[in-house]
Amino acid sequence: MLIVSGPTGGSEHDGGDHPERPARIAAVMAGVDDLHLGTDVQIVAPYVANPAQMARVHDTAYLDELAAFCQAGGGQLDPDTYASADSWSAARRAAGAGLAAVDALRQRDDGVAFVVARPPGHHALRDRAMGFCLLNNIAISAAALTANDERVLIVDWDVHHGNGTQAIFWDDPNVLYVSTHQWPLFPGSGTSQEIGGPRALGRTVNVPIPAGATGDVVRRAIDEVALPAIDDFDPTWVLISAGFDAHRADPLADLALSSGDFAELARMVAGFASRPGRLVLFLEGGYDLGALRMSVAATLGALLGDTYQPEDPTCGGPGAEMVDQARAERDGALQRAGPLAPSERRIR
Amino acid sequence: MSPLQKIAVGFDGSGDAEAAVRWAFELARQVGADVVVVHAVGLLEYAANRGAAVELEQTVERLTREAGIDPARVHWHVGDGDPCSVLIRAVFAPVAADLLVVGSRGQGAHAGLLLGSTSHELAEHATVPVVIVPTGREGQ
Ligand SMILES: [Zn+2]
Repeated sequence: MLIVSGPTGGSEHDGGDHPERPARIAAVMAGVDDLHLGTDVQIVAPYVANPAQMARVHDTAYLDELAAFCQAGGGQLDPDTYASADSWSAARRAAGAGLAAVDALRQRDDGVAFVVARPPGHHALRDRAMGFCLLNNIAISAAALTANDERVLIVDWDVHHGNGTQAIFWDDPNVLYVSTHQWPLFPGSGTSQEIGGPRALGRTVNVPIPAGATGDVVRRAIDEVALPAIDDFDPTWVLISAGFDAHRADPLADLALSSGDFAELARMVAGFASRPGRLVLFLEGGYDLGALRMSVAATLGALLGDTYQPEDPTCGGPGAEMVDQARAERDGALQRAGPLAPSERRIR
Repeated sequence: MSPLQKIAVGFDGSGDAEAAVRWAFELARQVGADVVVVHAVGLLEYAANRGAAVELEQTVERLTREAGIDPARVHWHVGDGDPCSVLIRAVFAPVAADLLVVGSRGQGAHAGLLLGSTSHELAEHATVPVVIVPTGREGQ
């Protein structure tokens, strides 16, 4: 069973000639439709995130400023990031869509949820919009879960490092943040030696990979670098920052993945969930509409046991050495942090 | 020895940023410091114009000649990220600046608004002193 929370953002938060655009939502929904799920898909209406829910991860001063900025008509927040008059409500619905997805899974205790919402979230910091992102949608959901004593694994396979999510949970032992991302590339953070704060050493896993890398390299990164941390953490929930801009057709980056690679990744990550009904995908990037549609269909198909595979998984690109190096550098950083680092013990 | 050895100045090609670069060059001449002109490559610049940084570097070479500063004291650094983060990182290696300089509006930011102002964000988060050069104040 697929639970779609949304779609939201299909017409609002419009920056005109900007790649993070409303038409992305129609492309994503076309990908869902390509699976012909019939009664196996349930559409859930997004909530509007409330101030208390947002304040778990954002400063209230920032939230107030953003609301006022949009109310005054919006504009450019940095060279990449815009807000329009309706962006404040769009952002709260995108954040609320995640919360609605979590609730829907809790009620069913079964299925997989997909948050079809924009603006995206993983670059948004506690006190600042960045990289097309206003509110950190996945962080708001993860924080709602940890407030309920859950242990949350976030896997971020967007081609860009999720600097906002990492920063928000940097010192939180109840969230394990795992990111694979092209390096070097915006936002410039996410080295393998960034392993978490003093209370959460090891709870951040970064695997930078080079331009041209294929799907086998990303799978190797998860298997060889992230898996020990995931096993140690033993998550109760798994959230995915599902950007599809690592696809070879994407105009914003230079990895060489196919839609089939996202299917493989989805199968791997789904295996980390403690039981059915504990896996939520959040839409992040993905700016080539055709690649986005195919990648969404392949990813969801894999999770639902469908055989839909429009493109084969890829292999043979560069980056295996960089993954091995990331593992060695991470191990070194963990050792320097001390053998009795708090995160090496499970926190219940 | 001057406490100022390396000045980092943000540069996005705007007039405000040019004013900041001129101000940094003048200060560097007076105290004998090096200047690192720092350019941030954001998501859109990476996608749309991968040659933009090359053009900006040529502008910096022109500004260097105009200022009469020793070209050996001027360095060019391109970093991935938003302008604020890239400048905050300029405090660490390889740039290792001990002063940050920006134009009053920052790189592509909004004038007069707290939100989206690179100079405001820098002032809040930087770990070394920050100079904000008001527009039109260069050479005064
Ligand atoms: Zn991305």
